[in-house]
Amino acid sequence: MIGWLGQRTVDGYTYLADLSAQVYLTLRELVSPGQQGRWAALRVTFRQMLFTGVDALPVVSAIALMLGLIVITQAGTQLPKVGGEGLVGNIIVVVIIRELGPLLTAFIVIGRSGTAITTELGNMRVAQEITALELMGIRISRYITMPRVVAVVLSMLCLIFYFDAVAVLGGFIIARIKLTVPFHVFAQAVAQALSLTDVLVTAAKGILFGTAVAVICCHHGLSVHSSYTEVPQQTTQAMINSVTICLLLDILVTVTAYF
Amino acid sequence: MKWAVELDQVRMPMEGGEQPAELALTVPPGEFLALVGPNRSGKSLILKLCVGLAACEEGTVRVLDRDLATLDDEELSQLRQRIGVVLQPPGLRSNMTVYTNVALPIVYHTGVDYADLRDRVMPVLEALGLEARSEYFPAQLTVGEARCVALARALIMNPELLLVDELTAGLDAEAVLRVERMLMEYRRIHRMTMLVTMHSPSALLQRADRIAFVRGGRIEVMGRYAELAERPVGALAPYLTDRPAF
Repeated sequence: MIGWLGQRTVDGYTYLADLSAQVYLTLRELVSPGQQGRWAALRVTFRQMLFTGVDALPVVSAIALMLGLIVITQAGTQLPKVGGEGLVGNIIVVVIIRELGPLLTAFIVIGRSGTAITTELGNMRVAQEITALELMGIRISRYITMPRVVAVVLSMLCLIFYFDAVAVLGGFIIARIKLTVPFHVFAQAVAQALSLTDVLVTAAKGILFGTAVAVICCHHGLSVHSSYTEVPQQTTQAMINSVTICLLLDILVTVTAYF
Repeated sequence: MKWAVELDQVRMPMEGGEQPAELALTVPPGEFLALVGPNRSGKSLILKLCVGLAACEEGTVRVLDRDLATLDDEELSQLRQRIGVVLQPPGLRSNMTVYTNVALPIVYHTGVDYADLRDRVMPVLEALGLEARSEYFPAQLTVGEARCVALARALIMNPELLLVDELTAGLDAEAVLRVERMLMEYRRIHRMTMLVTMHSPSALLQRADRIAFVRGGRIEVMGRYAELAERPVGALAPYLTDRPAF
């Protein structure tokens, strides 16, 4: 039992060290002066942003609208019963903008793009595409990892703010059918409740979630060795670890910023 | 540069082998060395050592005047740009066409756009009989075609050293002739050093400057084709052929 615990602890530290090394390599590639491969990497970054960001807009819109409708309807109908009409803005900011917006966006990105990245890289590893790239003198950290991390971080950041906007505004429009609160009152309440800290914390979450998801998914994809059966195993593991680490990061940021 | 490839007292464990591989080999620049021998004899291992995919426990591996053990990632990456490699799995990017696969090394290393490389890529594809397949994806190719594309990709940067694992595997007779012609042309123009492994007889062996017979992780016999064909050692005989070259 003690041996098992010790092994798990060592494995956990090794895993975190590997992820940290991947983050370091990505940052180094991002700031290193070498020009070789820049254009090719930029092309990969744009393609990944198109898939992770632009292609995700319909599903993000749908989920944001539904969440906004639920939260705004509940807040708008329940709070007046207890005399808390004035708290509608606060509830929306706390629930949607601070917490559920970033988290649900991260889960959508993990489900759509994170799994796709792990599967793609895993299949590339088995088909020896990664080895072939290395043999051409193409740096994996520059051509494979860095573009994906940059693209996922930027996409995550934009998607979170998009999610928040759609959830708050779209949710209000849909909920307007049942609510009696006029839009300007609603907008004013939200604007008053929203502080610069909220915006900065949301942005920080976007950067941290994006980095974590991309690095974890790349790491698991590149960890596939020689068999196609490893690909779904690594994909599942990447998904679970991404969700867990995003939740841990969320706690860390929330506690640091608001506690 | 005295040697394009120098394996000095190299010793390392062989996968699935009882004895460790022990290799000593020098290849002068511009030489065409054919490595023949049975499966799992260590031919591919020699190629992997030369390109830094395998590391030895003892000894030194020097390629194009660089000691591989002393290179960092960046230096190894720079060295690999001077080496063309075709491994047994061709390793083509599955989401790229034949054309973009072949152009990829130039695009990555020089920043030139894919569209501007037709004059450089298409002649190589034509020489290998692949011009009609330029917009195909790797999944639409036969095994032999995919290997030819991998060869085209390895040659596109005009490497100083070409390493090919199982050159003729999966190729039909016409494709073998095209590949032979192309390699000899590249060798003549670029003075390219070639290390090519083969595990079945081929007319290409007669074109090699030297033939090394590898078995059990050791180079058992090495010499010119004529010398070896005259007095073939028992195990080497099946690899030599009297089929005339093109």
